[in-house]
Order: sequence, then C-alpha cells, then structure tokens
Amino acid sequence: MAATPLTSSGLDLSWLDLYDEPASATPGKKGLTLKEINLGRYGDAARGKGDMTTRMRGAISRPGAQRFGPNYQSKADVWSENCIMLYEEATQRQWSSARDIPWDTLEELPDELERAMCQLCTMLTEVEFIAGDVPGQWMPFVSAQDFEAGLFLMSQIMDEARHTDVFRKRALANGGGLLAQGAGLGLRTLIEARDFTEMSVLMHVQAEGFVQSMFRMGELIGQTDADKRIFRMSAQDESRHLAFGVMHLKYVLDTEPERREELHHYLDKAEGDAAGGGSGDVTFPPVFESLCILLGGGPDKFDEGLQKFLLLRKRQINEYLHRLEVAGLGDRRQRVGPLFAQFVDPV
Amino acid sequence: MSTSEALAKAQVVAEVPQEARDKARQLGWEDGLIESALAKGFSLQEVWQALRGNVTGDQAKQFLAGGQMVRPEFKWMKVPTEWGIKARASDPELGLAIGDLNVGTYGDIPDVWYNRTEIARGSYPNPVNEDMGYTIFEKAIVWADCCVPLYEEAIRDRWISATDLPWASLEPLADDIERAVCQVMTEQSDRAYFEGALLSGWLPEISYGYLELKLFLSTVIYDVARHAEAFRKRALANGGGLGLQAPTDYMRSAQEARSYPELINILFVQDSTLLTLFKNGELFAQNQLERDLYALCAKDRQRMMDYQVERLKHYLFKHPERREEQNLYFNKGENRLAKDWTDPVVNEPLAILLGGGKGNIDEGMKKLRAFRKLQVQDYVDALAKATFYRTNLNGRLAEYLAD
Repeated sequence: MAATPLTSSGLDLSWLDLYDEPASATPGKKGLTLKEINLGRYGDAARGKGDMTTRMRGAISRPGAQRFGPNYQSKADVWSENCIMLYEEATQRQWSSARDIPWDTLEELPDELERAMCQLCTMLTEVEFIAGDVPGQWMPFVSAQDFEAGLFLMSQIMDEARHTDVFRKRALANGGGLLAQGAGLGLRTLIEARDFTEMSVLMHVQAEGFVQSMFRMGELIGQTDADKRIFRMSAQDESRHLAFGVMHLKYVLDTEPERREELHHYLDKAEGDAAGGGSGDVTFPPVFESLCILLGGGPDKFDEGLQKFLLLRKRQINEYLHRLEVAGLGDRRQRVGPLFAQFVDPV
Repeated sequence: MSTSEALAKAQVVAEVPQEARDKARQLGWEDGLIESALAKGFSLQEVWQALRGNVTGDQAKQFLAGGQMVRPEFKWMKVPTEWGIKARASDPELGLAIGDLNVGTYGDIPDVWYNRTEIARGSYPNPVNEDMGYTIFEKAIVWADCCVPLYEEAIRDRWISATDLPWASLEPLADDIERAVCQVMTEQSDRAYFEGALLSGWLPEISYGYLELKLFLSTVIYDVARHAEAFRKRALANGGGLGLQAPTDYMRSAQEARSYPELINILFVQDSTLLTLFKNGELFAQNQLERDLYALCAKDRQRMMDYQVERLKHYLFKHPERREEQNLYFNKGENRLAKDWTDPVVNEPLAILLGGGKGNIDEGMKKLRAFRKLQVQDYVDALAKATFYRTNLNGRLAEYLAD
C-alpha cells in the first residue's frame, strides 16, 4: 500500500489512515511506564503471531517486509509476566560504581584479607563478564512481539557491565590487584545452552541465584563499608534477574507443562552429571579458600570460615530449591544432584 | 554443633558423584576412602573440596587415620600479578572511573589478545582452560580510546523515560500532525530496538582483552533500549497509536554483516544521520516533551558517534590495506538507507511535521530535502574526521549534497 503513489502530487499519505484504535496512555504513580502503555491491541495480551521481521508488537505489518532470521515465535519461549515491571525497576534503580560506592572509606586490610577479597573479585569480574554475554547471545532470537522481555535483557546487560566493572574496581582500589583466573566455574554451561529457557533456568535461576545468596551474605564477606555496599547494590540487581528467571520458568511450566521433564534434564546435567557445583560454582579452590578466609576473618580462622562457607552453600541450595518450587518445579527437591542433596533442609 | 557436623548428621546416604570418584582415582585415593571419610562424619562437600584442592590419596589416608590435616596452600595468593594498586579517582566529580584502573600492567590494552577464555585482563591465567568461543582478538577491529571515558559518561548521563519526560504536559494535536508524530515514533522505535538486539548479539564475540569496549557497548545497548520504549510511549500517549513498521532494507544490511568492521560501518551511516535528526529535533517536535526526548536521544547518540569516528580512524591507521574494502560496507549501508529514505511512509510524516500540517506538505518536502542535505553533509564530515573520504558516495545521497 505504502509504496504506491496515490495522489497527483506523487504523495501516498495512506499511512494516515492506519489509526483505528486511538491510544492515550496516562502516567501513573511511577510516571509513564511500560505498564501504562500495555493496552488494547498494543498490549502483550493481544500478541499475535510473530513474523520474524523487526516489527514491534502492535505496529502495522509492512507488505514486503523482509525476515531477519529465525526467532522465537511462541510467547512462552521468552516471556516472563514480571518483565514489564522489572525493566522499569531497572531504569529506576541504575547506580554508578564510580560514585555510589564510598571508595574513600576503603581501609588498608591485613595482606591475606586483601588478597582474599581480590581473589573473590577476580572471580566475580570474570563471572559477570559472561553474564552480559549470555543474554546478549539470545537477544537476536527474542521476537520484537515480546519486546519487553528484550528490553529487560538489555537492562540486564547494563547491570552485568556495571558488576564487571565494580568488582574490577574493588580489586584495584585498595592496594591489591587481580589474582588467579577462575577455572571450572561452570560458566561454559551458560553459553552452551541451545534454548532460551535452558539458558534462563541455568543463568537466571541457578547461577544468579547462587550469586545472589552469596551477595546477601555480603555483610559477612565484605571487610569494609565499600565492600558491603558493593554486595548490597549488586544483590539488588541480581534480584531482578532472578525474578525474571523464576517467572519465566513459571510461565513455561504453566503454559507448556509438557516441557517439565526437559527442564529437569537441563538441571540434572548442571547439578548431577558434572561436578555438581552448578553454574557459578564457588567450590573452585581459590574461590572456596578466599571465601573461607573472608568469612572466618583471616587464614588463621580458616576452620571457622569453612563452617560459614558450608552455611553459605546450604543457604544457596535451599534458596535455589525454594525458587524452583515457586516456579512450579517443587519436585526438583526429590531429584537434586548429590552435592546439592546433602544441604537440603527437610520439608 | 558445627555446620559440618550438622550436615554429616543430617546426611542422607549420599550418592557419590562419578566425577568425584574419577578425581579421587586420579589423585591416588584407594577405593572406599571416600566412604570412609563420610563415615567419619565429613560431609560430601568437604570431601569434594579436598578433591578439588588436589589432596592426594596418601594425605587423605593419613588425615583420616588421625594425622595432620592438610592445610590449603593458598597458591592463588602467590600468583605473579601486579600487586599494590591503589586506583584513585582522577576526576572527583566523575568518581572512580574505569579509566582510573588502567594503571601499570592493568592498563595494557593489547594489540592482539591471545587468551581464548573469559579471563579478566590482568589476572593470572590458569594453565588449561576451555575455549569460550570468542572470535574478536584484535584491538584495531573494535577499539577506540574514547570508549573508556564514554562508558562512565553514559552512566552519569542516564535518564528515565517514565519520569524524566513531561508526559502530563501533552496536549492534543491536529490529527494529521499526531499521526505523523506517531509514524515517526513507530519507525524510530523499530530501529532503536533492532540496533540494541543486533549489538547485543555481537557481545559474545568480543574477548576480554577489550573489556572497556564491551562495557561501553553495553551502555549503547541500554541507551537504544530506552529510545525504543520512549518512542513507543510517545506514540501511545496522545491519542494516536503505532503506525506502519519501519522499512527493512537498511536494517537487513546491518543484520547481514559478517564481521565487526562491516557491522559497525553500516551502523555508522544510520548512527550519523539519526544523530543529525535528533540534534535538530526542535524542527520536528510539536511540544516540549518531544523536544526533550530528541535532545536526550541526541546526547546518547553523540557518544555512539564519538566512538564510531575514533574507531574507524584507528582501524584505518592500523589497517591501511583494508581502506578500500571499507567502501564496500559504506556503499551497502548508504544504498539501503537511501532506499529507506525514498519510502513515502518515512518521508511524508517528516514533511508534514516540517511543513506544519498535511496542507503544507509541499513546503515540508522542500524543507525535508534541505534537511536531508544537512544529514548527508554531517555524515560526510564525520567520515572525514575519521580520515575516510568517500569518493563514491551513493548517488541518491550525493544528489542531496548537490542541491
């Protein structure tokens, strides 16, 4: 329609007649958010069939629009019912590692403690680097019909960039440096995923869940006010990523229950067949040892630190199982991998 | 009771993972030693940590017989990385910036990065690691020094479409004007979202050697995400709606890129022309909200263009032999964008806005032609800043310059 000149002046103007459903979204308490514009034929509830073009949901199809390669055609493949809220929350809660961390409050630490903190930060800056690549890898497969999920993933990419940078900053700000590269951190499993939901359950729910449980023990791990604030601010971001993953999993299980065993299969692989540390494994010796030193308060209190490390691990596993239960995968408790099983609290 | 005692007490008959048995065999643990440790009250986790810590079979046996515990050696404390770094904010107003970390060996941005893993630049490499599948290991392909400060500036200058734009101030516009605004917004929303998704897909290609560049690209991705939703919000906030989707020719050409230089050069064409559009947004804006929206987008787009210009200049300096090849990518990008510009659904809304209504569209078309000239001139100037002088500018674009 649009390419055919209709008027004597060579103008088309037929696009002026496309507006059959006037939209007048009004700002709510938090301004004009995606929630306010999620209405009528523009809303996610009115999502039609995808078309593999770049057409955002609700825009009129262009005759002759080219396809851009395969992307997910089913909403369930990428959707999470909270992605609209989470994206806006992400925009409201962006923070700056440069200015929002009280770097000037860093105090000189005993050498072993500083080294332990730097080792942990070396691992974390590595982990967070991958955590940005992984959603990036999937963005081209998220249909513009489900653009809010895409917007959320793009906000996650920004969050992970900030985490990558803040842990690097911490390692280099207090008389230390970066130490040993992580290895066997289970990061390859994240990038190896061949399905969005597989990726999401491994990264958002498992790996980021473990990291979140660790960050929430930041008061015990951090040695300075700056450290503790880094963990608090990062935990806030991780909560969003985790919430996306849990609700995505729930959406899949609610709408495509036939995928339950398949999803268990991914978790069987991540928990059981391999080392059992899961994605974002903290049992890698430099990470395990540095955590024990930080939690104990020094290498001479390693045993005390080990007990707290085991508590951390217990917390990680039980929170992980609770999240899976919320998502509708409560039966995971009965088939969790052996290294996880030892930590599971009785019901 | 300690946590390990509690764990051991509560422990179900744990299945020992095969990988733990394999590792134990590798370290010379006798069959049954793992079970013996578990029977003595050690948790599977502790056994696993001992295995990961390379405790040998003899050491484990001695310990379980009442001998000395094998203490961790903390080898990671002794790795030969640069130590004693106290990075400080060089600009107190900006805070501790990533540029401030580039001291000593940590500031070496290598011309070629050889490590195929996700190792943090400056940390001590593990001797054996899996390849993570990155494909970009050369600085000249991606790097521009300005990406380091631009990352922090992007964070400092962030804005929120929901609350930083005066949505409540919108007032009804004449139908033709509102629909023209909505059509422009629909197109720009499509284009912004697409660019974010496209650039996101390239992140896993870039190795850790160029960490700061990836951080900067993350801000670009986040910026265009915000543009996509802000334009959509405007389309749905004032009695209009979404119009016809954007034309696909230009975007497909970016999608088709087989290398980062090709991708980024094709994007250069649109990044530049959109920057000119947004910088001159007051010509199209019908109210304060739109003026603010265009101005904020222009500020974001300026950072992208700063990167584009410096990257291209750096690339051409490092790879003079590939200068001619770049023309091919610019040819493609220009050709497809110029085609998009001939689409009435791209042109007519802009002409209505420039002319002040459907009734003045002829006047608007004249103004649009003059505006296209400005866009092309800015684009050619940006290329020249990058030391790239187009000798074969696309004919349609050249026509605008000839006006």
